Amino acid sequence: MKFEAPDERAAEDRAWTVVRRAYAEREPVAWPRRHARPLVAGALVAAAVAAVLSPPGRSVVHSLRKAVGVQGAQTELFSLPAPGRLLVSGSGGTWIVNRDGSRRRLGSYRDAGFSPHGLFVAATKPSELVAVDPKGKVRWTLPRRSPRFPAWTGSFTDTRIAYLAGGKLHVVAGDGTGDRVLDRATPVAPAWRPGPGFVVAYARGATAIVRDVVSGQVLLRRSSPMRPRKLAWSSDGKLLLVFKPYGTRVYDARGKVVAQDDPSDATFDRDAAFVPGSHGVLFVRAAGDGSNVFRYADGRTIFRGTGDFNQLAFSPDGRWLLVAWPTANQWVFVRQHPRKIVGAARISGQFGGFPRIEGWCCAG
Amino acid sequence: MAGSGRDERAWVRRAQAGSQSDFEALFRAHWGPAYRAAFLVVRDAAAAEDIAQEAFLAAVRALDRFDRGRPFGPWLHRIVVNRAIDWARARALRPEAEAVDTPAPARPERDEELLRELGRLSPEHRAVIVLRYLLEYTPGEIAELLELPRGTVNSRLRRGLDALKEQLQ
Repeated sequence: MKFEAPDERAAEDRAWTVVRRAYAEREPVAWPRRHARPLVAGALVAAAVAAVLSPPGRSVVHSLRKAVGVQGAQTELFSLPAPGRLLVSGSGGTWIVNRDGSRRRLGSYRDAGFSPHGLFVAATKPSELVAVDPKGKVRWTLPRRSPRFPAWTGSFTDTRIAYLAGGKLHVVAGDGTGDRVLDRATPVAPAWRPGPGFVVAYARGATAIVRDVVSGQVLLRRSSPMRPRKLAWSSDGKLLLVFKPYGTRVYDARGKVVAQDDPSDATFDRDAAFVPGSHGVLFVRAAGDGSNVFRYADGRTIFRGTGDFNQLAFSPDGRWLLVAWPTANQWVFVRQHPRKIVGAARISGQFGGFPRIEGWCCAG
Repeated sequence: MAGSGRDERAWVRRAQAGSQSDFEALFRAHWGPAYRAAFLVVRDAAAAEDIAQEAFLAAVRALDRFDRGRPFGPWLHRIVVNRAIDWARARALRPEAEAVDTPAPARPERDEELLRELGRLSPEHRAVIVLRYLLEYTPGEIAELLELPRGTVNSRLRRGLDALKEQLQ
């Protein structure tokens, strides 16, 4: 097909002016760091072989983890750098971590979510949805087949929990009554829109759907070739992030794409999150033997390291970013202004396995 | 025209190291195909320019993370075509936002007719035809680029071509 588009040369020159400026303003990765990666990759391979071949393999793995993590990391999670409490789940159960580092195991739950003000936790077992208080005392249970992904929203007086069970999206009142099925749904955590009303985003196949729970009206429906892995709202409820490892989209209320990230070949995203109080988005990108956290708007790298980062979470005041780094068995807390990095090591040993962050809730 | 694979890898490597002239070589080699592909899907020159430009800005943002072992073109074209499809779908939902007339370059009458009829296909059908016959990807490569099953690509190609043929008869 031979073809020339209108005004091609002039369009090229106009675009080059803009693209050249963006290129000139970017901050290239420092030379030594880029060349250090193969060395670290070599060290990883050598250590892995040693772990398999020699009896003291465990100590080699331990040494390796020390080598790839943040230097000077605390040997335990002695405290959180910001107000609020962390909720985590994993093979070792569901835990609450307080600001002073003290932690309480709530029970053997698969996944969990804070209530809007952090006074309760909704959690799931293989055959029931459970509401517990922060001391782990069960307040109510709702028997359901394989419930997952509880998400709690509302005010002090009127709350709802959205969850999935049996391939369907359910919504139940915060006291465990009035459970009803809304729609078929794919196993992706539903996300409540912040603000008044009860509006929830969920996935059905490769389609992200936004529905008003009270009226039942579908407010938005957006399809794409792949199933979303995560749905998240900006703090003001105006933007919806539909995260996919190979192509994330951010939609406004009318369904217009306002931002999108398409990783290059052989790279992919592991997580993305809105910066609280803004429309800015951070991504975790896996590329080669390393990972990095970068700001979508200008591509600026916030934090990078060897191995995998698998999750991002912001503190309730929005000042600290928690980067989960299972390769190093660390959580890394990053503050941008002024820049400060605090690492906490041996995370899996403290929680019976490297846990998933379910929420960081409720300053003050 | 895009450079050879070796040229391209060298441009990417040197652009990552900060060479603007190599980044410009990469841009100049890929602008034309990217802009034409976007235009054929959206049928709006201004939107196509924005889409292609945005794709290059995404390339700047991702440059340090770009895997030099992989070709640059398919990655760029995937962004361009996906964005163009999104844009065309959004416009279909907003009929008031019809594109203004854009000056068409001089070309044989038959081509004009073909392009006009291409514009009547759905964005999804347009995209696979543009990728196949303008950018010359194989159906397998298109399936990878658009993250579609290969059968879907083949059926979209077949249906798109059948529709074009019918309209042109």
